[in-house]
Amino acid sequence: MNKANGGDERRKGAGEKPMIVYGNVKKNYGEFEALKGVSLQVNRGEVLCLIGPSGSGKSTLLRCTNGLELIDGGEIVFEGTSLGKDPKRLRQVRRRMGMVFQSFELFPHKTAVENVIMGPMTVLGVSEKAARERAMALLGKVGLESKADSYPSNLSGGQQQRVAIARALAMEPDVMLFDEPTSALDPETVGEVLNVMKVLASEGMTMVVVTHEMTFARRVANWVVVFESGAVLEEGLPEKIFGNPSQPRTQDFLSHLGWSG
Amino acid sequence: MDFDFTPVFDSAGYLLGGVGTTILLSLLSIILGGVIGLAVGLGRCYGSRPLALVLGFYVDTMRAIPVLVLLVWMYFAFPIASGINLPPFWAAVVALSLHSAAYVAEIFRAGIQSIRSGQTRAGLALGMSTSQLIRKIILPQAFIRMLPDFGSIISRTIKYTSIATVIAVPELMRRADTVATQSYRPIEVFTAAMVAYFVMTFPVTRVVDGVYRRVAHRGQS
Amino acid sequence: MNLDWSVVFSHWPLLAHGVLMTVLLTVLTMLIAIPGGIVLAAMRMSGSRVLSLVSVCFVEFFRNVPIILVVYWAFYVMPVLTDLSLPAFVTGLTALAMNNSAYNSETFRSGLNSIRKGQREAGLALGMSGPQTFFKIVLPQAWRRVLPVLASAWVSLFKDTSLVSVISVGELTYTAMLIRSQTFRVMEMITAMAVIYWLMGYPQAKLVDWINRRYGVSE
Repeated sequence: MNKANGGDERRKGAGEKPMIVYGNVKKNYGEFEALKGVSLQVNRGEVLCLIGPSGSGKSTLLRCTNGLELIDGGEIVFEGTSLGKDPKRLRQVRRRMGMVFQSFELFPHKTAVENVIMGPMTVLGVSEKAARERAMALLGKVGLESKADSYPSNLSGGQQQRVAIARALAMEPDVMLFDEPTSALDPETVGEVLNVMKVLASEGMTMVVVTHEMTFARRVANWVVVFESGAVLEEGLPEKIFGNPSQPRTQDFLSHLGWSG
Repeated sequence: MDFDFTPVFDSAGYLLGGVGTTILLSLLSIILGGVIGLAVGLGRCYGSRPLALVLGFYVDTMRAIPVLVLLVWMYFAFPIASGINLPPFWAAVVALSLHSAAYVAEIFRAGIQSIRSGQTRAGLALGMSTSQLIRKIILPQAFIRMLPDFGSIISRTIKYTSIATVIAVPELMRRADTVATQSYRPIEVFTAAMVAYFVMTFPVTRVVDGVYRRVAHRGQS
Repeated sequence: MNLDWSVVFSHWPLLAHGVLMTVLLTVLTMLIAIPGGIVLAAMRMSGSRVLSLVSVCFVEFFRNVPIILVVYWAFYVMPVLTDLSLPAFVTGLTALAMNNSAYNSETFRSGLNSIRKGQREAGLALGMSGPQTFFKIVLPQAWRRVLPVLASAWVSLFKDTSLVSVISVGELTYTAMLIRSQTFRVMEMITAMAVIYWLMGYPQAKLVDWINRRYGVSE
């Protein structure tokens, strides 16, 4: 338990060994300090939402979590082992983390099902038959079985993002990282993606979600972390953060987004 | 392997004269090529069908035959065919202009077509004549998009002037060849010539790259 | 004007051989210049400062120096460098290959750069290695953007082979000009030379147009 969250026992997964621990993580881009010593933990089975103004470092922290960016100070510990900088080790780590991007990043030259089987076949060496079975099941789970043979260019944004989630799930990760998954979507399609995420959460998947969707965070998150200028402003249970935040700037931020508690 | 650059310095004036001819030849070809190219490009876009076909044939022919062949034909064969004797320099100007004009025409054609429909309708709705439309609406917009391609043509033309050496135009390549053979120091002399061409062309390609970086992002996803 | 076109036809074996040499030069040059371009692009985009600098210098040099000068220069430099007496064909081929590798490397580089960074990241996030993301994600998308430009480069190369005639390589230009000086049939031979190039070049130019229409990327 670290002092920052005050060791709140009501937090889901409290008492067990955390899945991810960020210890005083620092990240710089040249002169700019994107992360100024962030200390957090992600518990097993919880949905942790990172909220905060744009440019506050939330996405940066997420990208450091699976080593897409390397940190400049502190350490990130995943399942008891420090991430480090070794590319081979990072690749191992990434196999156990799934990532969903704001811009979906489906491979345009492959159909939906081909996108989903890419990971298992290329990285895990799963046979095509087994990979396809798993893929069709996952596409069914996200409601897109009928679109299995469609190319991304023929899918709506929401559909593409759901395929992207299936693609990440195909690797059977221990934790799913979502980087503003609905920010690039039309309002009509945001709901279908959030619903998939809700189902995942209810199944006990550990999720770290960077989002601006406050309703989702309020209803689905087990723990909310508010970021500002590369540091944690405050964190706590959703009821606390959204109902009675201790930091005035949190209140400012929430009211800016039209959140009236 | 000993290098002796003195022949280069001894003949510096002679070689620089070659540079001057290169620059003059380039300028004339670029300007003439630009004017002819604009006419051909407009002709292909707005001209009658037969005209567009003939011009299309001309453009494709320039794309199909090497500059060297065109130069040689202009200097040796054209006088026989037409009775007009062209001095080497002017044969080169004509050949290079005709060649670059074809590429300029293609650039204009593509550029104009990329803006045509919506803007054309808007202009016509305002009551503009075709020539007003072209001058005031289409060309100015097309021009910016075409700048990088024009830059490429400029640097290519400068390099093509070197081919005029085969018809004895006293440009840089020719003079370098002369000095090289007379001084028995071909490596040094040709190296110096390379530096000279680099100095002439590099600024152009640099500017093109810079413009391209700024313009290209408009078209990218 | 008294023209005798029969010289063209009576010398057709020689001309055919010249055409063959032209085609051979084009093919061989591209066989070297495509991998060459890939290597140069890889060097440029590698993390190494030294490799990157070498690549940049090579490419910028050949983009800015006329081929005919490179041909002449190679003709004198290569025997000195390699201590061998090389056939003109090899020298000409080397000059053309170096020039084209430089242009191709720019083509590959911009083709690769045009693929969004996120695509590579998505592959990495799945646990793929760098090479895996390159071969399975980036390259399959990039080749469509590279193909039309390579096709244009091919046609340019085909025309540039005429330049090695100045060091007496027996391709079409050299052959035609030789026949001209032997028969004094200036108009006929030079026109025939132009026509033969046209017959080969025109379809190639049209093919490039087709490739551009079919594979050209419209953003």
